[in-house]
Amino acid sequence: MKEHRKKRLIRALSIVLVSALGVGTILYALNSNLDYFFTPSEMLMNDESKNISSSRRVKLGGMVKENSFSINGSIISFEITDFKETILVSYEGLLPDLFKEGKGIVVLGKMHNEVFYAEEVFAKHDENYMPPNLDLDSS
Amino acid sequence: MIGEISHFLSFLSGLIFLAVFLLSIPMYSSSSSLQRFVPNIFFVAVLSLFLSFSLFVYLALADDFSMRYIASHSNTNLPGFYKVSSIWSAHEGSLFLWIVFLGLWGIIFWLFYNSKEDLYVETLGIISLILFLFLAFLLLVSSPFERLLPISPFEGNDINPVLQDPALAIHPPMLYLGYVGFIIAFAFNSAYLIKQDFTEYPVARIKNFSLIAWAFLTLGITLGSWWAYYELGWGGYWFWDPVENVALMPWLAATALVHMLFVSNQSKSIKAWTIFLSLLVFALSLFGAFIVRSGIIDSVHSFANDPTRGLYLLLISSVIVSIPLFYYLRFLPNLFSQQSIKVLSKEYFISLNNVLFLTGIFIIFLGVLYPLFMEFFFDDRISVGAPYYNLLFAPLAFVAASTMVLSTESLWSRPNSLQEILRGSLIASIASSIVTVIIALLTDTFAWWFLGGLFFSLLIFFKYLQSVIISYLDQTKVNVASMIAHFGFGMLIMTISLNAALSSEKTFSMKTGSSAIFADYNFTFDNLSKLSKSNHDVLEATFIFEDDKNKFLLKPQKRKYFTRGEITTESAIKIFPLHDVYITIGEQQTSGSWIVNVQLNYYTRWIWVAAVIMTLGILLSMRKKKYV
Repeated sequence: MKEHRKKRLIRALSIVLVSALGVGTILYALNSNLDYFFTPSEMLMNDESKNISSSRRVKLGGMVKENSFSINGSIISFEITDFKETILVSYEGLLPDLFKEGKGIVVLGKMHNEVFYAEEVFAKHDENYMPPNLDLDSS
Repeated sequence: MIGEISHFLSFLSGLIFLAVFLLSIPMYSSSSSLQRFVPNIFFVAVLSLFLSFSLFVYLALADDFSMRYIASHSNTNLPGFYKVSSIWSAHEGSLFLWIVFLGLWGIIFWLFYNSKEDLYVETLGIISLILFLFLAFLLLVSSPFERLLPISPFEGNDINPVLQDPALAIHPPMLYLGYVGFIIAFAFNSAYLIKQDFTEYPVARIKNFSLIAWAFLTLGITLGSWWAYYELGWGGYWFWDPVENVALMPWLAATALVHMLFVSNQSKSIKAWTIFLSLLVFALSLFGAFIVRSGIIDSVHSFANDPTRGLYLLLISSVIVSIPLFYYLRFLPNLFSQQSIKVLSKEYFISLNNVLFLTGIFIIFLGVLYPLFMEFFFDDRISVGAPYYNLLFAPLAFVAASTMVLSTESLWSRPNSLQEILRGSLIASIASSIVTVIIALLTDTFAWWFLGGLFFSLLIFFKYLQSVIISYLDQTKVNVASMIAHFGFGMLIMTISLNAALSSEKTFSMKTGSSAIFADYNFTFDNLSKLSKSNHDVLEATFIFEDDKNKFLLKPQKRKYFTRGEITTESAIKIFPLHDVYITIGEQQTSGSWIVNVQLNYYTRWIWVAAVIMTLGILLSMRKKKYV
């Protein structure tokens, strides 16, 4: 092979290699940091198929069940329901201003022994907010 | 009546912009007598647009609730300042402001670009085309001029209370001035491509427009971060929210671009990069507008959701971007200079820098679009959280920092030896390693991102210190502007690392009269009082904080706004030089006690200071003709 061709080939190959490595790293990081969103039914039913393990951070969305809110020390607990299944949520921290029983809510955290330990609680800055897929289910 | 005049003037200016564009087309083939004529018409179009907006501002100040838009977003109880800022609190009005700023940048170009130089009329033509398309979008599908007749309400619906804030009133205009300012680089480079005369590349003529736009964009993002910190009550300064991300993408592209603008006269090989980045910045600004306004993504920032608007915006943006992109791809071989970039030359490092910025943009782009992709094709609902971005951006910033430091040793247009370049940074590396180890031992924190953040920011500081000392001894000049801007970048890495490592928070459940301990502070929930303000009720808690040296009061609030019945949390912050004590109150429990969240946030303010220092460096560099 001619010298200049060899040089170009090496250059092209190294560019391809570095880009592939970069993109691979990015995709790997993306895949290990995705938060899947589930409704309580999906969360309980698809335990295995969607590989929810206690190590995986997921988002759980639904309505805050009426009369389920309680505080013990600084631990807040309430139940999230999609009117079929209900999951108990435990959380330590400040609740958003729009948190209300009977309103839509999304929590981010991990499931462990039937209890969802939330790291973050989101209520949308919109009083009419419905978590995805719930408006259809409930009607 | 005034509403109709305002409406008509917008319509008129749209038509005139179309005329300017059409008249500018012949300029690409031959210079005609139209050259003197077109700029004057352009001025009339912008004047008409400004008048239209001024009348709209007047209507907002005069509480004309027969205008549907004003009725839904303003209120007689609002101070005049917020009556004006309510205009950009929702989709239609903020789009109007966006367009007015497009016109403003157009008129700035019209004023400051030497009209005898070529590409003047062509650039005005492309700016006019963009203005025409956006005015059409405003008037056809997002009109703020609709009337509520015959029965108009006596009172307006009020602005969202979290938006009734000085920082937030000026945050969108700042940001828009930044986004939209890159229209000049975009239009100029498009005109350059379409004209197909590649002998000379006079990009230096539009350098300062882009630098000012960069400053606005940076300050706009910083203001938003500051507002989110004290207003949302979470105590964070950046959330990797989709809408923050779509602001960060043009910022990264713009930052790569401003680096290019200095070196374009230094090196021909940089031309293809500069044109590409000029197109990219504005394309990403348009993409941001699409994401925010189409409602395709759920975010605190998103406006009312309307898919038709998204479709129109996508269409307009594709038209605007695809024209120059077509020419760019077609003439790409002509744009590259014949000689290739020498290994480890200054151009080499600058190209590497661009690759890093593009990687950053790609990371965000993927994070924003991947959930949409998954939902559309697989019906999987996922979101990409902060850990993804943090994990990738920390190493990216470190590589960027080392590239920056190494590049200071390299020279233009010739190969440099790696050994020599590394030797030049040896002292700085040793010094920063030592200081990093000392700080890590003192703070007892050894996370990789913390050590990396310290090391690379210190590397920047020491390297520039070394340059200053050497240039003082040799009596040579240093590039002060570049030094300040890059010092700001180093400070950004350092403050972000320190903030992440040192800050802490804890949640308590407290009754009035009770005390608790957090870090070095002993604090007491002293009392709770009710106040009434013009448009809201306030529940104010008073906390007494004490440590060895200080004693101070903090008064976090809960507010209930009358018109919308919305409840907001107001944080209370005690500012010390290096940290903030940040407190918010949450729910009252059935037992009567309150949930109280206390945070110690270290160096948050210095992150914003770092952004301001970078901006200062960029603004200082406007005087410079060349990159040293």
